Order: sequence, then C-alpha cells, then structure tokens
Amino acid sequence: MKDPYQRHPAEVLDIKSETPNTNTYTLAFTNDELQSNFSFIPGQFIVISFPGIGEAMFSIASSASTRESFDTTIRKVGRVTTKIHELEVGDQVWVAGPYGKGWPMKSLEGKDVLIITGGIGLPSPRPVIIHIEEHREDFGFLEILYGTRTPEESIFEWEYEKWHKMDRTRLMLTVDRVPEGEEWQHRVGVVTTLFEDMVTGPRNAGVLICGPEVMMHFAVQDLMRRGFHGDQLYLSLERRMRCGIAQCGHCQLGPYFVCKDGPVFKYSDIRGIPDCGI
Amino acid sequence: MYSVTMPEEKVPWLLDRLKEMGSVFGPISNGPEYSFGPVDRVEDLCLDYTTTILPPKKFFFAPRETIFNFEDGEISKISDMIPEESKVLFGIHPCDLSALEFLDRVFLGFRSDPRYLRRRNNFFIIALTCRSVSEHCFCQSMGTGPGASGGFDILMTHIGRRYLLESGSRDGEDLLRSLDLTDASEEDFEAKRALIERLKGEFKRSVDMDGMPELCMQSQTHPVWEKNGEICLACGQCGMVCPTCFCFDIKDRVDSSLRRGERYREWDVCLLKEFSQVAMGGNFRPERSARLRQFICHNLSYGSYQYSLTKCIGCGRCIKVCPVDIDITEIARELRETQPRLVVS
Repeated sequence: MKDPYQRHPAEVLDIKSETPNTNTYTLAFTNDELQSNFSFIPGQFIVISFPGIGEAMFSIASSASTRESFDTTIRKVGRVTTKIHELEVGDQVWVAGPYGKGWPMKSLEGKDVLIITGGIGLPSPRPVIIHIEEHREDFGFLEILYGTRTPEESIFEWEYEKWHKMDRTRLMLTVDRVPEGEEWQHRVGVVTTLFEDMVTGPRNAGVLICGPEVMMHFAVQDLMRRGFHGDQLYLSLERRMRCGIAQCGHCQLGPYFVCKDGPVFKYSDIRGIPDCGI
Repeated sequence: MYSVTMPEEKVPWLLDRLKEMGSVFGPISNGPEYSFGPVDRVEDLCLDYTTTILPPKKFFFAPRETIFNFEDGEISKISDMIPEESKVLFGIHPCDLSALEFLDRVFLGFRSDPRYLRRRNNFFIIALTCRSVSEHCFCQSMGTGPGASGGFDILMTHIGRRYLLESGSRDGEDLLRSLDLTDASEEDFEAKRALIERLKGEFKRSVDMDGMPELCMQSQTHPVWEKNGEICLACGQCGMVCPTCFCFDIKDRVDSSLRRGERYREWDVCLLKEFSQVAMGGNFRPERSARLRQFICHNLSYGSYQYSLTKCIGCGRCIKVCPVDIDITEIARELRETQPRLVVS
C-alpha cells in the first residue's frame, strides 16, 4: 500500500541567491519516472525533509509546465531552513508532494489578474505569472504589486525586467523603508499604497493575494472598499503543517484544513471564520 | 445476523476461545479507574466498567509511533512496519466504538494511513452495551449510545445472569456459530431493550445538538470563551483523553551514534500554545480562550463539516479529567441559552 508519509530523494540542481537570507533551489527527483510524472498546479506546495532534522512545507515557485525540475524559494528562519541553506549543488534532500489546492487557473482565464504579494509570499504566485506569460492570449491585463520591508529583501529581481516587458503587464514595487546608503527608484510604503495607481478594477478581474496575514487583511479591506467582491479575491494562507494530508490537524481553520482545502481560499469562503485574521 | 445467549459463568470459557484468535485486550481495573489493557486472566476483566481513562483509540492510533527509520541520511523502507497479527478488543462501549468510525474517516478518508489501516484490520471487535451511566456520560444526546448499532464483529449485552451475543459481521457470525450456544429468543432481545430504556433514563448530562455546528460557527465572540479561557490551564488533558482527537506532531529522534534514528508521530493537542506556532514566532491561537474554543468547536461543530460526523461522542472523559471543571455540555448550553443579541439603539 502506498504510504502518504513516504518521502523521495531529490537532487539539488541549482542554487540561486535572492537576498542575503533567501535562496531559490532547483530540485529534481532522483527517480526519473517520479520526476517526469511530477505535475502541480500553481499555488500548491511540497515538503522538504531531512531525516534526523525534520521537515517543512514550501510553495513551488517554478513553471508548472517544466517537467525536468521544480524550484522553491526559501528564507532561512528555523531548523529546517537553516539546513536547507547549508545545501550545495549535487546534495540530496527528501521531497514529497504536491499538496493542497492551488490558484484557480481555469476561472482566471479571460480575466484581468491582479497579484498582490509581500516579502517571501511571491514564490506562490510566481508560477501563475509564468503560466500567464506562456498563455498570454488566455488572460487579460496582469498587474503585480509587490512589497517588501527593504529593497534588499525583494526576491526574483532577475525576473523584473522580463515582467516589465511582458505584454499587457505591469509590475509595481514598494518597500516599507529604504535604509541609508541603499538605492530605490520605486515606491516607499506598505503594499496597499500602490492601490492608488492600480489600473485593475473590480470588473472581470481575479485577485491573488499572498503575504503576511496582516498585509492580506489590509489589502482585502481596501479592495472591498474599492468595490471588489469576496468571490474574486483569492488568498494563500500560512498555517503550521506537519502532514499535508489533513491528518495531523495543525493547520485547521474552522471547518477547513489549510493543507487540503487550501492553502488558496476564496475570501468569501473564509470571511468571518474563527482564527482567520483576514 | 446471528444471535445467541450465553450464561455469564461462561465468560472465562469465551475468553479462552478468544485467546485462540490472538491477544485479547479489554477493560481492566487500574487503581480506582479502568484501562484497556491485555487480559491475561479472566479475573482482570471488568465487564461492568463505566469509562476507561484512555479510550481504545490508542490501539489504532498509537500515542507515539514510528513513521520511518533512517540511517546516514537515508530513509528505510516503511511498509509493513506494523505486523499483521490477529488481536481481539473485548468490551468496547458503544460511544468508543463510534469514535472509531470518526477516526476511520480521518485516517482512511482523504488519504489512507497504512499504519492505522493495519492496526484496524488486526482487531476483531467485541462491543459491550453499557451496564450503567456515569455522571459524565452524555452519549445518548450525541446519538452514540447507550446501545450500539454497528461497527462491531460481535455485540455483547448483559441481560440478567446471561449475555446476549449478536453478530455484526461475517467473522462475528462465524465465531458465534462455532461456539455452539443457544439461539437468542425474543425474550432476550426484550431484556436488551429494557436495559437500554433503563439506561436512557439515567443520564445527568446532555447536549442539544440541533443546529449546534452552525451555532458554534456564529458564536466565535461569545463571552463563554473568554470566561472559560480565563480558568483553563491549557494543560491539554482533555485532548489527550478524547477518543476522537487525532492531532499529532511529527518529530525526529537520533540515537547516540548520531547516524541512526526514527521519525515518529506523537499525539498533540490544540490546547498547547506551540500547536499553532509558525516560523518567526507567529501564532494563530496565542490566547487560551482561542485554543479552548478550537477544542470545543472542533468537537461540536467543525468535525461535522469535515467528516459529516459529530466529533464529540459524549464519553465525558474531557469533563472528568479537567482540573478546573470546564464542561463541554455546560459550554454548549450557554452558547444556546445566552446568544448575545445585537443591541438596537
């Protein structure tokens, strides 16, 4: 019988430094068949595991159409992520997934797409951006609003030029503050300050939000005031997760398991639910 | 279905027959309380027990169990870690039996956990209709007792000086037929009905479940959470004794060689502060009142949305074990009776 707690060896193919404490890791399952059958929906996540140390869940950050490998972008904050940051190209990790419900790709087709994200939240919608790039005719205007605390903390900077140049696409950046000596040509302020210049309106649009819960709370409140409806706002939630298959119980949010019913939820489905800070 | 009766003096004989099938676990005395444990001698068996300290959940979802072993960073094969062996669970009460139905949906529903499945398949289950109602019991109002309707191989009911034995599965029927006992009569079934009717009149606690899942969802800011959160010690004993609490943590342990170890899972409880903690110190339920609300609402509300079954089975263990007398039936009553109304000025 298949064991959902089994983890599979994967090799680190590439490591890209994003910020002083955040790297993007390109991984591939060692077993070719497993790798070529590994498919996911943008917004789904994987578990990265180290026997003897532990494991944690991470968004898949790469294109869903690439079958050779997959990326995940990880900030060093705890025991598992510290171990990940010690990895070198060629090292082995243990991986399983994908888990959860991703972004609603089908229902976004034909619509304008607004992505609002903060800090280490950008990896989750990045596969959506790539998907839209790959299927540009299927979607309307794409607007990406991205905020970090400082310029140094922005990830995927190497992608910005490409995103800027994408057809019918706009990328707006902001930081909470600019430390002395650093250069910054974009906005200063929380991500919602970008809403003033936002071109996407409520009509025929889908909004994808991923970031700290407090940021998502203010973004949602602001969008609702601007006439957006709870049905068109999608949020990717963070919770403690141990299993990814709705058994360990840690990620429960009222009647939902964030790992199984989410992490992407429609705002109208979670509005007013206990312990949901949005 | 096949039913027989057996004089109560034949319980030792029945036990010997069951032992031929495998190790027998049943209610045994444990100081002033009862526990489910191995029944070596018939004198150990307490068939008139009320409620055990821990529910029989521990036989299927172990308090701590290995997920896989590892050596030098490599994970060992994890299949067949729990051996296939025939065991008998003897004397499980109807409420605890219905808890297994709930756990089946957790561990065999969305994804199947092979450890749980193997343990579940290993057991031949003999249920036992309750003989008395404890002051903490409220299974009747939860629809899980005092009689059992399914989920057993055999159901035993003490009627006078004898037992009515009813089969609930093919295996159960085969065993009953092999025992060569007297077929049950209408009188025996009548005695069982009378016992259940008598028990129904003995309950001191109840929960009115009509619309309760919705009521909990709408009562998240009810003062009852703050009031009980104030006195809750967040000790987590309620979750530890709950027959349907399924939460667990996953941890790694390395032995002194630093090369070998195991990844294991261990019961965890939402009352504990670390339960909802995430990276960088974030916590989605930092207050005791929020954690208590999670425990109570999961039992009376969320579980019904998750599994179409009420999580709480009315065994009363959480009430009995609580050091500060927090009572889920009282909270349910307060939620219903004192719904804060909107003040219209």
